[in-house]
Amino acid sequence: MLLPRLQPPLRAAICSIGRSSQQPCINEAFAALNIRAASPTLTFVRHASHAQQGAVNKAKDGPGKRLGAKKSGEQYVIPGNIIFRQRGTLWFPGENCGMGRDHTIYATESGYVKYYKDPEKHPKRQYIGVVFERDQVLPLPRNSVRRRKLNMLATQMEVPPTIEEIEVKSDLVLKPKKERKVLQLRPGYMYREANWEIGRAAERAKVKVKEFKPRDRWTAWRKAWARKLVNKDKRIVGQRKKK
Amino acid sequence: MAVCHKAARPLARCMQTSQPPCFSARSIRQFTTTSRRDGEVATVPETEPIVYDPATVTSRKGEKALMKSGVMPIGSRRRRAALKSSGNLPFEQLPYQCFQEALKIFRTDREEKLKQIQTERLRISNLEAQDASNVKGGEVQKQRRLVSMRSHLEYLKIQADINDPLIKKRFEDGEGDMNKPIYRYMAEKQWRKYQQLLIAQRIDQFNIVPDVLPHFEPTADVRLAFKQRSVQHGEYVDSRVSEVPLRLKVQVFDKGERLVSIVVIDSDVPVSEEDNFTSRCHFLATNIPLSPTITSIPISQLPKESIALPWMPPFAQKGSPYHRYSVFVLQQQPGETLDAAQLKEAVQRDGFRLRSFKDKYKLDPIGMSIFRSTWDEGTAGVMQRAGIEGADIEFKRKRVEALKPKQKARGWEARHSSAKYRQLWR
Repeated sequence: MLLPRLQPPLRAAICSIGRSSQQPCINEAFAALNIRAASPTLTFVRHASHAQQGAVNKAKDGPGKRLGAKKSGEQYVIPGNIIFRQRGTLWFPGENCGMGRDHTIYATESGYVKYYKDPEKHPKRQYIGVVFERDQVLPLPRNSVRRRKLNMLATQMEVPPTIEEIEVKSDLVLKPKKERKVLQLRPGYMYREANWEIGRAAERAKVKVKEFKPRDRWTAWRKAWARKLVNKDKRIVGQRKKK
Repeated sequence: MAVCHKAARPLARCMQTSQPPCFSARSIRQFTTTSRRDGEVATVPETEPIVYDPATVTSRKGEKALMKSGVMPIGSRRRRAALKSSGNLPFEQLPYQCFQEALKIFRTDREEKLKQIQTERLRISNLEAQDASNVKGGEVQKQRRLVSMRSHLEYLKIQADINDPLIKKRFEDGEGDMNKPIYRYMAEKQWRKYQQLLIAQRIDQFNIVPDVLPHFEPTADVRLAFKQRSVQHGEYVDSRVSEVPLRLKVQVFDKGERLVSIVVIDSDVPVSEEDNFTSRCHFLATNIPLSPTITSIPISQLPKESIALPWMPPFAQKGSPYHRYSVFVLQQQPGETLDAAQLKEAVQRDGFRLRSFKDKYKLDPIGMSIFRSTWDEGTAGVMQRAGIEGADIEFKRKRVEALKPKQKARGWEARHSSAKYRQLWR
């Protein structure tokens, strides 16, 4: 909305009074001080920002995301327990702890939570770790043996394991090398048998195949049925049946 | 050309060209009434079959002919063409100007380096002969100077030979004599480029450094093999394959022969009573000679006096996490020998600690390799044959109880199942 300016006409009127100071009569002076009404052309003003714009640019504050520590120091945790929720890495994962995709620190072993600093690992960072005894201090001494837990129970197998009989040969006895064919250099820089040799491989292996009789549908059906039976089990999981 | 040759040229040319074809054997044959006999069969004059040299054959036809006869051409076609065209010159005599000029520069540089080596040797011997009181700084300073002079001498020895193309070629073909410093230097450089980085990564990844030793920097290249199968660092090895003792190939890069000890440690033996892991020694041998030229150590062929703890095949019980087997090569103090029989009494297989072992016997680890083992079909058989009990034990994960309280039963039936509501259930 353009507000008509009132100041300039008032100022002009006062100036005119000043200028024409020889007027003795006060009434005439007041008459000279007539604030002319705004000329037919109003002067409108635009300010830099207005109410709606200001409301849109207000500082945002949404609902709280419940970040922070979920388990305090020396509290017992099990694997998977979330210890600290954060934006970015205020705390880094230390001993027996992992970090999720949103930088959540969680425990990977059962034990007690410890919040600590390890200047030898990094001068500025702070870490969250899990120890197995409540009174154990982190960080552990440099290059000390790692403390690990087996977390397993030794049980007797119900069915004893099968033991295959094999002859143990000493490493001095070398197997006679298989007699390999001398492969020829074929076109395309491949070292392989000639195609005719591949074609006659069945003959060499003495594979017996019954002669095909075109009008014997019973044998053909039997062969096809056997093939389908075998292939039925070979169906790959996840492959959908074609309608 | 001599004058007589010039004069005879037209005549000679005439003689060569004017051989009438009617003088050939075929056309002179007279008419006969009887049939052709064997002796008179017209034969095509045979040309001698071309013999191709496998080192210099370049034509495809020649290659095919050679391969048909069973001989393979040597090297690439480019190599064969180069050999053919160069007239079988030795490599350093090849007539390329830039190459020969470079060789000249190299030779003059080598002469300079040899002179420097001579002067350095003289300086070292002079300083050694001098009395410590005459040297500024006394004995300490004299020793320091000698050490730095010797290292400079080694540097000069390398610099004299490093630019020689033939030495480079010999090294790359594996023909380098490891007794010479230049080949050891090149071998070490090659090792540090890749294999050393690889083993350092494995040591870090598998936590060998905190678990087995507090600090370790490998200085020798150690490779493992079982029979003919080589093992990459960190590879899973089947229990049946590792049933036989392994073969080591150790390449050291500093001169001199030394005695080493070999230890094979399993760092992940599960102990269910303590809910913990211990380590076990699978093999221990001492007083094995090793030098830059003696690289192969077949454990099964070691003399009985060297072996303190014989080979126990690696095994992992079912359900246990993978076992890491580290093979350490430990250098003994110069001149020191360890008594294998005494070690056999003193060292226990179970609960073996390499830290305390190496401190006690003053050993210095120079190289290591690692392989892993898990339960497979052959493990039970391997354990039975080695007389190890526990093949029928299976490790199952312990159930972790949740911290939150059990959920109360829900529903009308659950809420009205107490004694108060007995009437409803009659």
